[in-house]
Amino acid sequence: MTLRAPSAGAGAGRNWALLALLALASLAMAAPLLWTLLLSLKSNGDLLRSTRSAFSPPYTLQNYSDILGHSAVFGWLLNSTIVSLAVTLGVLALSSLAGYGFARLRFPGRAVLFIVLLFGLAIPEQSVIIARHQMFSALNLHNTYRGLILPGLAAPFGVFLMTQYFRATPRELEEAATLDGASRFKIFWRILLPLSLPAQATLGIFTFLSTWNDYWWPLISATDSDMYTLTVGVASSQMNFAQTNGLGYLMAQAVFASAPILIVYVIFQRYIVAGVSRAAT
Amino acid sequence: MRRCGTTAGGGVGNLALRGVSKRFGSTVVLDDVSLEIGADEFLVVLGPSGCGKSTLLRAIAGLETIDAGEIEIDGARVDHLPPGKRGVAMVFQGYALYPHMTVRGNIAFGLKNIGTERAEIDRRIAAVARMLEIEHLLQRLPAELSGGQRQRVAIGRAIVKDPKVFMFDEPLSNLDAALRSRTRQEIANLHRRIRKAMIFVTHDQTEAMTLADRIVVMNQQRIEQVGTPLQVYREPATIFVATFIGSPAMNILPVTRAAGSGTLQWVRLADGTQIETTASEASLPGQGALRLGLRPESVRLCGLGDGQTKALVDFVEFLGDKTHVLLSLAGGDRLVALDGASCPVHAGESVGVLFDRAATHLFDAEGRNRGLTG
Ligand SMILES: Nc1ncnc2c1ncn2[C@@H]1O[C@H](COP(=O)(O)OP(=O)(O)OP(=O)(O)O)[C@@H](O)[C@H]1O
Ligand SMILES: [Mg+2]
Repeated sequence: MTLRAPSAGAGAGRNWALLALLALASLAMAAPLLWTLLLSLKSNGDLLRSTRSAFSPPYTLQNYSDILGHSAVFGWLLNSTIVSLAVTLGVLALSSLAGYGFARLRFPGRAVLFIVLLFGLAIPEQSVIIARHQMFSALNLHNTYRGLILPGLAAPFGVFLMTQYFRATPRELEEAATLDGASRFKIFWRILLPLSLPAQATLGIFTFLSTWNDYWWPLISATDSDMYTLTVGVASSQMNFAQTNGLGYLMAQAVFASAPILIVYVIFQRYIVAGVSRAAT
Repeated sequence: MRRCGTTAGGGVGNLALRGVSKRFGSTVVLDDVSLEIGADEFLVVLGPSGCGKSTLLRAIAGLETIDAGEIEIDGARVDHLPPGKRGVAMVFQGYALYPHMTVRGNIAFGLKNIGTERAEIDRRIAAVARMLEIEHLLQRLPAELSGGQRQRVAIGRAIVKDPKVFMFDEPLSNLDAALRSRTRQEIANLHRRIRKAMIFVTHDQTEAMTLADRIVVMNQQRIEQVGTPLQVYREPATIFVATFIGSPAMNILPVTRAAGSGTLQWVRLADGTQIETTASEASLPGQGALRLGLRPESVRLCGLGDGQTKALVDFVEFLGDKTHVLLSLAGGDRLVALDGASCPVHAGESVGVLFDRAATHLFDAEGRNRGLTG
């Protein structure tokens, strides 16, 4: 976020007020995160006495080494990474292709199909999860990567987003490319796809985040601890009374599980900024 | 090649349309359009908004399919070929530069698609960039260019493919007035240098008159007339062409037949004035209303007693180098006269009026000009 300095001197005071307001808001947003980080650096024993001890040393990395000492944690990390990446790439590819089709191709039943897709937006996962569970049982897909990935690929929102995006790109561009001798696929690949990067970045981040954070479906589908994703695995390793006895450990788990997300976000953010500024010119 | 009698450019390599029609649903957008263009001709398609100009270009380019007729380039049917294979290039009204590619990437895209070698691509881009003076812009993105520069890049992207036919769809309409007239001259220069067939769509008659070898005047999905700028101005085939071209527009007055002497038809204005036209009496239909067309510059003012008739001056518009004088005749007809800078009349005066006989046009009930010889 950038603040543009008002040119007149009279605006300077207002500018400071705005800055202070924003700083306050940022602090409010960051406080729970910082609190989590702080607690994760304290021993469980100290915190059991009082959480106020978080503001003073001694600090320790014991909670983190306990997590890393749990042998299965790297497997769960790998599972989460594989599933999240596969779902993200799959959703991007399928949504782009389907969106292009809805936006630009003429085929019988297009309007009806698009309405069916819109209905898909309104159906909550909870209402279909039992049927899905039975279907995946019948297909022997539980406790496999396919079982974790496939449900995520049905992404009506992604298709809807890409359809709207492609509809909004000027047709003249594609016509110019046609006259330049480009095939339909080349137009999609070299013109439309690069132009849709801002939308792809947004869709990619949301898909990755929601898949990474997903708890319910992996909990149901992955019953074998080797197939746990990080969210399920971390939850399963929590001891009873964790909220009181193991608060530091709990917080370290939260930090550990969200660290990859933060990294992904930092990387993708560059694309978002680039995309937004290109769209603005 | 079957015939090239009517093309100005003649020679090898031309574009021919025969009976081309296009419908969108039940709306007819092109109605039986036939046209031939010489290999190095500059053809301007002129017409009001919605008359089908863009559709005509898009049909030639292959961006729209046609429902009937044939399109030939260089003597070979192209109407079944995809746009990229027809040998045509088009400059779009909004330029349609690829926003994520540099200027160089934009110009190279078409060449890469047909598998041109790298060295050849570089050579051609260098030549085009020099010609259009965009060498210093090659690494920029379209968003970093001014409107005029974008236009040049769009033209460069067309030239570099060395097409047989160039098409421009209102390429100047996004530019400000000063840039527009400069770009107009540059396009004229460009045509002089590369000597290729160009089709230029516009609804601006100044652009049409200054650029064209021949003008195609379109109205309501049809071609009204094809001719040189002088022809469409001096010998408009229809009342539409007569009033669409020229500013201020031609005066059109309802007239009745008058008995005259000789073979040329005489007509009578509402105030009783009799005027000899250039239409032969024998060629006119016996029935139907007639209208007389008089260019403002062929309506001359004179002393009260010296004119063919007299008129009341309603209004005088002094424009610096010329003056528009709005007149009303006794019969209720109103007309505009174009006079020199030192026009001595004032509103409210009565003046004598003379009509230049050689410059009269007589239109029949269907709006066709009957005064044309041949
Ligand atoms: N895809 C389409 N579907 C239905 N009607 C269309 C379509 N494209 C154009 N038309 C109609 O065809 C007619 C001619 O359109 P065209 O764009 O060729 O006009 P034009 O002469 O280029 O006008 P302008 O000067 O405004 O650009 C218009 O009445 C327009 O509404
Ligand atoms: Mg148009």
